Amino acid sequence: MKNEDEVNNLGKLIVQLHGLHTEISLLAKKSPNDGLNLFKLKLVNKVLARGNEILTGHYKPFEDFNEFDEEALPTNSDVTMILTLYIEQVERFRSDNVVYSDKDYHWYYVINGERSNIEGAAPTKLGTDKK
Amino acid sequence: MTDMALIRPRLTDQYGILKPQAELDFAIPFLDEDIPLYVDPFMLWRSPSQQDQALHTSLLNAFNHLGVLSARGQEEQAVATLIIASECDEIGLGTSATRRGKRIGEAAAREIVSLFKRIPQYAQVGFRHFEEIQFFVDGISKDRISDISCSFLKSFLIDFTIQQCEQLGIPTAPSEIQNVYDYRKNAFETQRDIPLPVNPKDGKPLIFVPKRWLRYVPWLSYDDYFEKYCPQDEISHKPEEITRVKVLNYNRDHYGVIDNYIKAKERTFDDCHSDPLFSQIPVTSAKRKFSIIQKLPTGKDGGADRTYEDVMGQLLPSLLYPQLDFAQEQARTESGVSIRDLIFYNTASTPFLDDMYKTYGSRQITMEMKNVVAIERIHVDQLNRYLADEMGRFGLFITRNALKKAEWTRIIDLWSGQRKAIVVLTDADIAQMVELFDSKQRDPIDVIVKKYSEFRSKCP
Repeated sequence: MKNEDEVNNLGKLIVQLHGLHTEISLLAKKSPNDGLNLFKLKLVNKVLARGNEILTGHYKPFEDFNEFDEEALPTNSDVTMILTLYIEQVERFRSDNVVYSDKDYHWYYVINGERSNIEGAAPTKLGTDKK
Repeated sequence: MTDMALIRPRLTDQYGILKPQAELDFAIPFLDEDIPLYVDPFMLWRSPSQQDQALHTSLLNAFNHLGVLSARGQEEQAVATLIIASECDEIGLGTSATRRGKRIGEAAAREIVSLFKRIPQYAQVGFRHFEEIQFFVDGISKDRISDISCSFLKSFLIDFTIQQCEQLGIPTAPSEIQNVYDYRKNAFETQRDIPLPVNPKDGKPLIFVPKRWLRYVPWLSYDDYFEKYCPQDEISHKPEEITRVKVLNYNRDHYGVIDNYIKAKERTFDDCHSDPLFSQIPVTSAKRKFSIIQKLPTGKDGGADRTYEDVMGQLLPSLLYPQLDFAQEQARTESGVSIRDLIFYNTASTPFLDDMYKTYGSRQITMEMKNVVAIERIHVDQLNRYLADEMGRFGLFITRNALKKAEWTRIIDLWSGQRKAIVVLTDADIAQMVELFDSKQRDPIDVIVKKYSEFRSKCP
């Protein structure tokens, strides 16, 4: 990540992905084949667009998937599945961008290859290649 | 105007006015048949609008004037006026397929006019609701009440029609209208050069009716009275002896009973609503119908094909309302094979439908129902032949399973070669439509949009 803004954007993306996932997976459990209404679908697409800005290269869940087509009538379960994959990948990206500090035993975000002062949670997806 | 052979043509479709019935204030007239609803004068009385209430008053004044004439000894004139009022051909309401009704006979008219003398209440203050005549005179049905109302209100209805035509751009022609009631002269007269829409089939003028006035059965009705309010025991203790004529005679001598009925119905006017021109089936019923389909075998055994077509005929018009107005079910024969379709008017009410209208000239949408294991080449060819230019080049198969590869290739070829689009809706798609009908998250018609977009993505 290049600056503090990008770290903030990442944090916002994570919260939004989790929020949408929680809501829509409830709908998917009740009626998986029901279509998601257009209002929610537009919000999902906005969050996915933000995700696509951050998750580039091998972090992007699918090469040829960018957003949901309204005409394709995506169902609750379709949307839940994609959100799950984005959540996985965004966490992988985050995990690759935090470092551990021996001084205070906390995790910090990496900005421009160096440890910043922005504290982050411990990584959960270890073992992927760093970008 | 075009010469297209539409199924169950409506005035608006004929002139390319793309508005679904749900968005219009008037009931769209059919060119070959009547709208199966009736004007209920009680709807004007109970309306919150001052205009409607005032029209009800004019209607009653006109009707009660028959009593004035009769009291003055001009009974012949009253009878003649009533006979004229008893039919209103320009307004196509009721169930006749010919749009030509019959006036009441002189005897019936005389009997109605005599009520003004026979029943003291009417002699003194006249009618509050003229449809009360059905409680005293035999043979007065809902279409008669409707026609008498329209005749006396014709002048207003003409203005209403002109206004609607101007608003929508429906072409009009100077027409001669007979029997327009003049409230100053209290008489019918002929008016000329009135700009009214014309039925292209027979050149006769048409008059529209506000759909807020329409009901299947009048709020004050003989059957309702007989069932719930009529003191049948007083007429006879033997049910088989209670004939309609006996009830009518009883009513004449017991006006108080009728009066109480009217008052009770006036008190409950809040429950009196106009009937919609199309009503959707409820969600539970849609689900039940779909479960019938799920259990149904393919093929013809045990009339399975017929059941499939019947259930789809009940289900799809509701699922697709109000984006598509249902025209009718059609049976046709091709090479000795009987085929049943559902025909919808395409009023281009969504971007997708507009696209179908412009791209494929689709003024009506044909959905061919096939309860078969698999759509065969012959089925595709039959639908292809039917999707000729006058119908529009967009159609659907409503069937059980997805197309096999060869047939799929065939419909893609039809698009490549002739720019015809065929979309296939299977049980899985109908399931999703029913689900959306229930959840209301998206419109069931979006399933057709999805299937069309899948189809187009396969086209070269």
